[in-house]
Amino acid sequence: MTLLKTYNKDFSSKNKPPVVSVIGISKKFPGSIALDSVDFTILEGEIHALLGENGAGKSTLVKILYGIYVPDRGEIYIRGRKARINSPKEAIRQGIVMVSQVPQLIDKLTVAENLILGLEKYGFITRVGKVRYFIREKSREVGIEVDPDTEVWKLSYTQKQLVELLRALLLNAKVLLLDEAITFLPLIEKKKFYKFIRDFASKGGSVLLITHKIYEALEVADRITVLRLGRVVGTVPRSKVSPDDVRKMMFAERSSQVTYERLPISTPRESAALEISDLWVMGDHGDHAVRGVSLTLRAGEVMGIAGIAGNGQKELIQAIVGLRRVEKGRIRLYSEDITNRSVSKVRIRGVGYIPDQPAKYGLSLENSIEENLAMLPSLTNRLINWGSIRDLARKLIKEFNIMTPSPKTPVKFLSGGNIMKVLVSRELLVARRLLVAYNPTRALDEVTAIMVRKFIKEKASTEGIGVLVASEDLDEILQISDRIAVMNSGRVVGVFSSSEVVRDEIEKLMVM
Amino acid sequence: MRLVLVKRVKPLPLGGLVIPGASIVIGILISTVVLYVISRADPLVTLSCVASALVSPEIVLTFLFLTILGVALLVAFNGSIWNIGAEGQLWLGTAAATYIALFTTLPQAPVVAKVAMVLTAMALGGAWAAVAGVLRAYLSIDEVPVTLIMNYIAYYIINYLVRGPWLGKKTWGYIRTDMIPDQVKFTLLPGSTTVTYEVLVIAVLALIAVYFMLKYTSLGLRIRILGSNPDALKAAGVNVKALIITALTLSGAIAGAMGAAQLAGYLHRISYPIESHTANYGYTAILVAWLSMLDIRAVPVAAYIVSALYQAGISMQIAGISSASATYVFIGAVLLTFTVLRVFSEYSLRIIRG
Repeated sequence: MTLLKTYNKDFSSKNKPPVVSVIGISKKFPGSIALDSVDFTILEGEIHALLGENGAGKSTLVKILYGIYVPDRGEIYIRGRKARINSPKEAIRQGIVMVSQVPQLIDKLTVAENLILGLEKYGFITRVGKVRYFIREKSREVGIEVDPDTEVWKLSYTQKQLVELLRALLLNAKVLLLDEAITFLPLIEKKKFYKFIRDFASKGGSVLLITHKIYEALEVADRITVLRLGRVVGTVPRSKVSPDDVRKMMFAERSSQVTYERLPISTPRESAALEISDLWVMGDHGDHAVRGVSLTLRAGEVMGIAGIAGNGQKELIQAIVGLRRVEKGRIRLYSEDITNRSVSKVRIRGVGYIPDQPAKYGLSLENSIEENLAMLPSLTNRLINWGSIRDLARKLIKEFNIMTPSPKTPVKFLSGGNIMKVLVSRELLVARRLLVAYNPTRALDEVTAIMVRKFIKEKASTEGIGVLVASEDLDEILQISDRIAVMNSGRVVGVFSSSEVVRDEIEKLMVM
Repeated sequence: MRLVLVKRVKPLPLGGLVIPGASIVIGILISTVVLYVISRADPLVTLSCVASALVSPEIVLTFLFLTILGVALLVAFNGSIWNIGAEGQLWLGTAAATYIALFTTLPQAPVVAKVAMVLTAMALGGAWAAVAGVLRAYLSIDEVPVTLIMNYIAYYIINYLVRGPWLGKKTWGYIRTDMIPDQVKFTLLPGSTTVTYEVLVIAVLALIAVYFMLKYTSLGLRIRILGSNPDALKAAGVNVKALIITALTLSGAIAGAMGAAQLAGYLHRISYPIESHTANYGYTAILVAWLSMLDIRAVPVAAYIVSALYQAGISMQIAGISSASATYVFIGAVLLTFTVLRVFSEYSLRIIRG
């Protein structure tokens, strides 16, 4: 009966009852204030976006709601009752489930086995069957099919995130916390997830969508709360705001720096920085991910590789830096053959590398900014000169406006965007001849992302290094590239110079 | 009212001192209770044994040995490479030094011989550990069982040598090697019957060299990062396989040096069977490494306390108050308390009312 009632309720009305209310939450971290008297409310049946630039305190707030951090001050009310959430277990008991940007699944287990972990409400014998059925039904509904009996390591990122969402539903979530959980999905699949959460909200569930992407918030949220430097700037209904309004709330006066104009074209030099000829590289699952790619990148030129995730861009880039074996074909760096050379040999020749998963392949989170600089063979000799490393760290912190209490703070205490800034600034520093990057600005807010693109472009044109940027964000590719190569199913299906490029044509080639 | 553990944003300030300190005090108190219950040892006598051990000159040699081994283990442990094989590495060091002392002509030049004893001991100890390093680096075989098993292989190799080719000529029926020549024995400190100049030098050098290595060399930094994110190291262009092997080799080499010091300064010969003649320093050093919380500056402190507890157990046994197991009661109680208290370095306890 109650269920029916919930279904029939008109959730577009303004009389939605609050589900979660946060009052006066403050949290201090060593050397910085992450949250300062934050108030906000999630209503029943609403999709609420939490927007903010890098380091605004979004993740801290979510971690408090999910019981990972305990606030220094302030209170949380759930359906009007004061709640103490001091562990994720307690949060789940209260109906709050988080899905983060990094899937938390166990690779060796199957999808069904992963979902059964932690489910106590199903009976001992029936549960495998039930879970299996649930997975089949739901994944068909969403349009991203997942076989309950595949091991998780075989799944794509999108499929893993779907499994995470299914887990939340199985846990009987009333409030979904999506901490950049959708932000990094390929565009086409993003739409399916939007449908999924709209559906969830229409049945009376609430969604808190944490994102640094304005368009994502505007596309799907009912209300938007903007955080800046740990404070709530305001909560606004989506229908009443434009992207520019939100941008002003997020960045204040810096919002004027946001532009999607194409950056000035650099003048490529004569010499080829990187020559790739007929390259074949294996993927993770035993088939070829890169199938006969040939490209030439001139010194001083920025080449963008457009494509939907999983079309061989990642493998191509890993092969260039030496992290993945080349089966066939040649890679030449300034005419020198570097095919299947070790990473150390490639990197020491002045190759900068911005990987897709900065926390795994980029930085060591337990170590400080200084130590993350000193770990690069191209920045230190056998003996480390900590004095000069410190000067370098200070310079990067200043130049890239990295928010950190000190160069000695372990990187794990920084926000996701600031961690990315540490990585990008370091790699720009060591890229003396070539920079290869995969989604270099994905975790960054608009202002920072544009700043990083400008830095990359400037480095290419003034120092004459070759830059190869693969990105799933077509706006980024269009803004930064002098030439654009489109990758699809491991092949380059088109190369355009940025002066003659037509966006539609690229999009067509990407999904073809 | 409920008690909850809450993760600290920052580790407990001075946790590196407070937690091991508290563990030692609580561990000793637990031990006195346990010893009272099982063998009616008067708690006051137990405590006085501990107190006198803390100032006993007897513990100096054990302290130096455990310092060297603690430093050796820290090289590997800082990179999350769990070298459980210091015991085997040190005994092979002893064997290598014995070979130089008894079966080469080097002892005719004593200084050369002493240096050669230590260096070959380091080479053999390092090589022994490197085997586990190669297996870990190239075949991803866990180093814990490998290093542990290799301890016993080391024992049995030496047992074989002592019973066979190395059996001494003047042993009065004992199965053991001959004494090493007097001129290659290490030089005793004035007033001591066990502590030598050389072992003191080895301990100080090891401590300073490894401190310097971890802090000021890229090798040390990379070993520390290896403990938290090997993938990032690889992408940065560091040869991670070579790094793993280097860390284990260095660890084994330092343990080997202690083995040479044990022979030339104290044992002077190897007796069969090793497993009943060993003081198990290689294992006890694991406790030292843990109590130091992998901070090299704390290694001497941890080694001092562990060696005092070691000595307290022995003196209780000699006084007939308790059996030989008293040592292990002390060490076990401290380690257990430490394991529990370590949680508070990362977590704090909060009381929640209502």
